[in-house]
Amino acid sequence: MVATIRLTVPGTLRFRAIAVRVVAEAARLVSGSAQRDPDDPFSNDVRHPFDTAIVSAFMEIFNNIAIHAYQRRGHGTIEIAITPGERDLVIEVRDQGTPFEIDEVAPLPSELDEDSLPEGGMGIHIAKTMLDEMTYEPGPPNRWRLCKRLVANQAAGAGRS
Amino acid sequence: MPTFDVLKTNSETRLTIRGSLDINTAPALAEEIDKIVAHKPGKVAVDLASLDLIDSSGVAALVKLYKGVRGVGGAVSFVGARDQPLAIFKLLRMDKVFNL
Repeated sequence: MVATIRLTVPGTLRFRAIAVRVVAEAARLVSGSAQRDPDDPFSNDVRHPFDTAIVSAFMEIFNNIAIHAYQRRGHGTIEIAITPGERDLVIEVRDQGTPFEIDEVAPLPSELDEDSLPEGGMGIHIAKTMLDEMTYEPGPPNRWRLCKRLVANQAAGAGRS
Repeated sequence: MPTFDVLKTNSETRLTIRGSLDINTAPALAEEIDKIVAHKPGKVAVDLASLDLIDSSGVAALVKLYKGVRGVGGAVSFVGARDQPLAIFKLLRMDKVFNL
């Protein structure tokens, strides 16, 4: 398996797509999923359940850092270290912004209907639910650690469509 | 390519969303949603077949559309959700509300 992939980007949403793209490719290294169109390396082609989980969680954490830690001001950096394993992927993310009160995030309603559809506060719930492990240590530097394991029935193309 | 386009016919307003609906693209869609709701449409169909990625900001925009249109007496239908977006709707248990 490849060594840790390291990427440092400014703490702004302008660099989000680049970071997400790198994470998606790292997820493919583990899941073995193929791109729908190999001639379009910048397409948002995320179909395999493993890739879906990793990319969905990472997008929410990046959003959280740019919006809450750096308060949309675009200063500071986001340091990303992605370690693909044989059957798992670990992403460590560090920022120097304002610490986030993760325990204050309200849970989603237990019963969802038309009246209780949420219009916010879903990001951390998505990340936490998609991953096998997610930890956050407030700083600075604030440290996120995201881990997803490949389960047996997801290996090598099981999720291709 | 725009992330979305709107086609109005006599019978419905059709909103097609492509690519990634996320924190960078959702604000423009939210503005369009305001315009759609202001016209008090009877029926809005949202085509998600070309939507590749969605995040919580994108979901929030679609919830805003759903609530807004129903709030003025209209109906919203979502069609074509697949892959990552469908997984997100299921995780949030919105697939049943949106009838996906």
